[in-house]
Amino acid sequence: MKTTPLLLATVALVAAAQAAPLTFDFKDPKGVNNVVFKLDAPLESINGTASGVSGTITVDPADPSKVSGKIVVETKSLTVPNSVMQEHMLGEKWLDAAKHPEISFEVKDISNIQRQGDTGTAKVTGLFTLKGVTKEITVDAKVTYLPGRLAERSPQKTPGDLLVIRSQFKINRSDFGIQAGENTDKVAEEIELSLSVAGAAPKG
Amino acid sequence: MARILIILSLVGALAVTAVWVALGAHPGWTKMKIETKQVDPVTEIEFTEYRSGFVPGIDFLGAGLAGCVLLAGTGWIVSKLHIKKPHA
Repeated sequence: MKTTPLLLATVALVAAAQAAPLTFDFKDPKGVNNVVFKLDAPLESINGTASGVSGTITVDPADPSKVSGKIVVETKSLTVPNSVMQEHMLGEKWLDAAKHPEISFEVKDISNIQRQGDTGTAKVTGLFTLKGVTKEITVDAKVTYLPGRLAERSPQKTPGDLLVIRSQFKINRSDFGIQAGENTDKVAEEIELSLSVAGAAPKG
Repeated sequence: MARILIILSLVGALAVTAVWVALGAHPGWTKMKIETKQVDPVTEIEFTEYRSGFVPGIDFLGAGLAGCVLLAGTGWIVSKLHIKKPHA
């Protein structure tokens, strides 16, 4: 009979621990986190990827509306297959990677959450900063919660959860002071971005 | 001399075109990195891995052929000078 309160306390503690918000770290040691960018250009579209992703997102899996955090992309990690193009892209006239080493998205609000098991979609509003210019944008995001799957990706078999976020959205380069109104015949005004990132929340 | 330059320019044009075709006839800009798409089995995230490589593009073909035209032009000028020389 004495074990009942202890058992109840343990169950309550486990339930509280499971309901607690989790902080997911997006600095993936395997380096799979990436942002694909695409701009139309006369000869061929400019396609590249950015792999220097970091940042944290804190979310309560039981109540995903309570979310906060920031995803950061290292500007110099932006890569295109042509080295001359890459030099220009990171140079002073375009992204000025030396002066603006980070591109970030800070989550402010989440709405229109549609859940289906461990996967959900939502509209995420946040502050997007590029080349030192910050603008509030709202993007569609697909989020997949993978409880207990961290060990499968960790060489040390660290127990924990994974959170996968995917989002596709468009921005205008002139809104962020990137050659505003210039070279529109060479490079499109619109930049398509496709974010695919996974964050890890180790347990224990 | 003029004939050698013209023959060289023709050989060069053929070589440049052959290299461009053999390495994929890429209709875009020259690539110095080769992309490979991978998928992470757990998160199912598709990501790109780059390795050093060379895929000649239209700029390579254009610059190569322009060089050959320049060589052929030089050959033609030299041949004209040679023709004029005996009359001088």
